[in-house]
Amino acid sequence: MRRVEHIMGLPISVDLRDGDAALAERAFAWLREADDRFSPFKPGSEVSRLDRGELTREELTPDLVEVLSLCDWYEQSTGGAFTARVPGRGLDPCAVVKGWAVQRAADMLREGGATSFCVNAGGDVVTAGEPEPGKPWRVGVRHPDLADQLSVVLGVRDGAVATSALYERGQHILDGRTGRPVSGIVSVTVFCDDLAIADTTATAAFALGRDGIEWAAAQEDCAIFIVDEDRRVYSSPGLPVHIC
Amino acid sequence: MKRAIPVLALSVAGLVPVWIYSPGAAHEGELSEVAAPPAQEQTQQQAAPQTTAPKATGAAPKTTGAAPKTTQQQQTTQQQAQNRSVSGPAVNTSEGTVQVQVTLQGTKIIDVKALRAPNSNPTRMALPLLRESALKAQSADIDTVSGATATSEGYKQSLQAAIDGAR
Repeated sequence: MRRVEHIMGLPISVDLRDGDAALAERAFAWLREADDRFSPFKPGSEVSRLDRGELTREELTPDLVEVLSLCDWYEQSTGGAFTARVPGRGLDPCAVVKGWAVQRAADMLREGGATSFCVNAGGDVVTAGEPEPGKPWRVGVRHPDLADQLSVVLGVRDGAVATSALYERGQHILDGRTGRPVSGIVSVTVFCDDLAIADTTATAAFALGRDGIEWAAAQEDCAIFIVDEDRRVYSSPGLPVHIC
Repeated sequence: MKRAIPVLALSVAGLVPVWIYSPGAAHEGELSEVAAPPAQEQTQQQAAPQTTAPKATGAAPKTTGAAPKTTQQQQTTQQQAQNRSVSGPAVNTSEGTVQVQVTLQGTKIIDVKALRAPNSNPTRMALPLLRESALKAQSADIDTVSGATATSEGYKQSLQAAIDGAR
C-alpha cells in the first residue's frame, strides 16, 4: 500500500508493506494535525499564539514543550547557528517539527502493528523492518549537483535518514548567529534511529557551515555523510553504506 | 622507516582490542582510556587532522599577529614536509577486518586512518574520525531517496516521484 499526500508543504509518501491500510490514514491525519498545531504560517496554531503572547510557557501542550526543548538544545549546542528564533522573524520551529512529527507518525504505524514500511517526507526518511526478507531498505542520497544521480546508497532496516542540502529552494538555511545564508557545505546526511534527531542534526550542521562537519560527527549515535563546497565527502565509519 | 614498522605493529596491536571490545556496563567515555592505552594518544590525535585540516588552514591568517603562534606554524610547516604514511596489514577480528594507515612525523604518530573498519558501534566510539573521499555519482536500484525533495514543485521532477509512479 503506497500513498502520497502534501502536508506541511511537503510530499509525504507512506509505503506500507504490511499491517492495516487504515494505519496510513491515521498517520496522515496526525501529520495534518501537527501542521495545524505547530505551523508558524497558520494564525490559529499554538506556535503563532505563543509568538503573539497569547499563551504562556505554562499553558503549552507537552508536545510543543518537547519541540521547543529540542530547539533550545540544538541552539545551545551550535552556539546559536541553529535557532527557531531568527532575529527579526517570528518563532519558527519548523526545522524540528517536521522530523519530530514524521517520526511520531512512523511510531504510530509501528504501534499499530506494521513491521515493514518506509515513510519519506520531502526527502527525510524513516524505515522499519525489511522490504523483502533479508534485504534492507535501500535509501539513496541525492547527488548535490546531479538531480538524477545518487552520491551514496544506505542500507537501513529500523532507522532514520535526513538530508539537508542546497539544491532546492535556494539557500534556505540561515546561520542564526548572522541571519545570513550559510556556506561551506552543500549536503548533510544524518543516519540515526530517530528522525527528529537526524533531521535537526542535519539542519543544525548545515547552519554551522564547515564547522558543522566535526560537530555532526561528534553527535552521539549519529552517522554522517557530508559534502563540502569543494565536493569533498566526509563520512562516519559507522555509516551503513549499501554496496549495490 | 625501519622504526615505523614496530610502531605500526604496536598501533595495530593497540587498536585491535578496541575493535573487539564490547562496551558492556562501562561508560562510553572510558572506552578509549581503559580499553586501549596504546591507542589513546592516537585516538585523540587522529580525529583532528581529518576534519580540522581545512579549518586550520583557513584560520591561520587570523593568528599570524601573535608571534609565538607564528613560530609554531613555521615549525609545523617544516615538519609536514617530513610526514609519511604507512598502511598496516589487514587484521581479522571477530568484529570484521581492520586495516589502518598511520601517518608519522619523524617517529611520532600524528594521524591514524581506518582503511577498513567493521560497522559496529564499538568501532564508532573508538574511532570517531571521519573518512574523507571524493564525491562520486551513481545510479542504483533503490527503494527511496533522501534529500530528493524540499518542495512539491521539485518533487514532480524528483527521483522519489519516479519511484512512487513506478509502483
